[in-house]
Amino acid sequence: MDAKTTKKDSKKYSTHDIVVCLKDVSVVFGNFAALYDINLDIHAGDFIGICGPNGSGKTTLMKTMIGTIKPYTGQIALFGEEIKDHIPLETRHKLAYVPQISEFDRNFPALVKDVARMGRYAKAGVVKPLSKIDKQIAMDALRIVDMDYAAERPFGHLSGGQQQRVLIAQALATEAEVILLDEFTSALDFRMTEDIMELLDFLSYTQNITVVTVGHNLELLRAYCNRIVCINKIIAFDGEPKDPDLDKAINTIFH
Amino acid sequence: MATILDFFSALGTPLMLKALATAIVIGVLGGVIGVFVLLKGMVFLGEAIAHSAFAGAALGILLGIDPLITIIIFGLIASLGVGYVNEKKIMKDEVIIGIVFTSFMALAILFIGLMPYYSTDVTSILFGDILLISWENFIILLFLSMTVLIIIFGIKKELHFITFNSEMASVMGIPVRFINYLFLVLVALTIDISLKAIGAILVFAIIITPAAAAYQWTFKINKMILLATIFGVCSSLFGLFFSYIWDLPSGSTIVGVATIIFAFSFIISPKRRKSGTGHVVEDCEYCSKTIGGRQFCVEENCVAKDIPHKHDEKGLIIYSTDLHARKIPSKHKHDTDVNE
Repeated sequence: MDAKTTKKDSKKYSTHDIVVCLKDVSVVFGNFAALYDINLDIHAGDFIGICGPNGSGKTTLMKTMIGTIKPYTGQIALFGEEIKDHIPLETRHKLAYVPQISEFDRNFPALVKDVARMGRYAKAGVVKPLSKIDKQIAMDALRIVDMDYAAERPFGHLSGGQQQRVLIAQALATEAEVILLDEFTSALDFRMTEDIMELLDFLSYTQNITVVTVGHNLELLRAYCNRIVCINKIIAFDGEPKDPDLDKAINTIFH
Repeated sequence: MATILDFFSALGTPLMLKALATAIVIGVLGGVIGVFVLLKGMVFLGEAIAHSAFAGAALGILLGIDPLITIIIFGLIASLGVGYVNEKKIMKDEVIIGIVFTSFMALAILFIGLMPYYSTDVTSILFGDILLISWENFIILLFLSMTVLIIIFGIKKELHFITFNSEMASVMGIPVRFINYLFLVLVALTIDISLKAIGAILVFAIIITPAAAAYQWTFKINKMILLATIFGVCSSLFGLFFSYIWDLPSGSTIVGVATIIFAFSFIISPKRRKSGTGHVVEDCEYCSKTIGGRQFCVEENCVAKDIPHKHDEKGLIIYSTDLHARKIPSKHKHDTDVNE
């Protein structure tokens, strides 16, 4: 266990509910370090906001967690199991990733319900079609995010916020325990962003889903997250939003 | 010039039946695989495969072996090579495809130049002739296209997901890498086996054009595959028909018909009519006037915004779903922490 980051939390949490554990992780692109010596534990039920300036490695950190980027040094453990070369399938099914979608082809042939059903594809396996239960789960996920009324509409015709909701429904359909969202705030206006944050808060409260979001808007993250991580290649701050050190850390990393 | 009657009487002959069956098989195959080629945005890759296959054919003719073997080998080398470079993101794929495309064409010209005499086989591969398919080739075509179709329908839903967003697909545990390579092999096989019938230059049109026409009509993936198949078969059959009655090269008539279908679809596309300004106006199933460009209610002082609702004559709002009743009030964890 890493002492630095979990000192505060160690009283409240036990070690077996750590869903993502990064230990001494460094990520190097060419001869340039994108992340240096990251120690981070994410506990089940956390609502984490990762913030930092552009190029600080927020997206890299997230992609390292889901195994898209291999760390140069250090270990990653997901759900208590150390990840070597590839993430085992059972562990993958517990993770859901919602990428940044800025410009989506308006005419792409996918209905909203198709997109929600995609969350079941990996579990159904290659060749096999989706069962009735799978379709029902996808529909229920759409209902949770209040997008069931648009199930028959083309995905490309939705507004940015609605598309984001459908993608969250897709993540819910996988029955994931951890949802990672990459900078969804950048394409949305303030009202939409708040709506999505409200939805995520609702999910983490009712379904006990661990949420990890990345964003620039610190005030917004402060209002909803129960833990804020500020990074700028290294972890500058890791703690609760009301911690007075957060402002100091923000001033340091944003200069 | 033959008459229409001649065409139907010629249908009784084995030569014509074989050509007809080839046309149908190629139409179905091209239509189905074309949908995913179009959605994955690999149009130029297909072009490169077609030209590499031509180089393979030239080598086969030069060595005096069955060109189909060398066609398939060259097609696979080109598709997997470009796929590998594309995956490693060493360079933009269009640069790599441009290089592969021209270098294989140079090889083809080299092989033709090395031939002691100019073989008519080269012309037949370059321009294709659906009437000159041998029985042996027809059986191989039938067998390979059945295999390709079965595999495509097996991985259809995964392909749809990958074309939607490959990053999400890979995080959720879909074997994206394997499926991408498998798909490249299938595209290479489709092009290779259709090469003799349509010709190296035009073969890619039967993959991309019916799919592009189908793209104009629907938002449903299954319907798009069905339409692409219908368009593919129609263009092959009518192409063959026009080729026979006017004695024209079959490759050009088939692609010509496909292009006409595409142009027709493009002009009267329901998608384009609906979203001409980029806003969804007619799409709302509740009320055509309430949903504006951002799917917010355009009515003044409406509190419902993007929640489905409608305004009746008295100006009342009727919620079709009462969203707020279902929601548990948000409770922030840091608010409860204060008591600790």
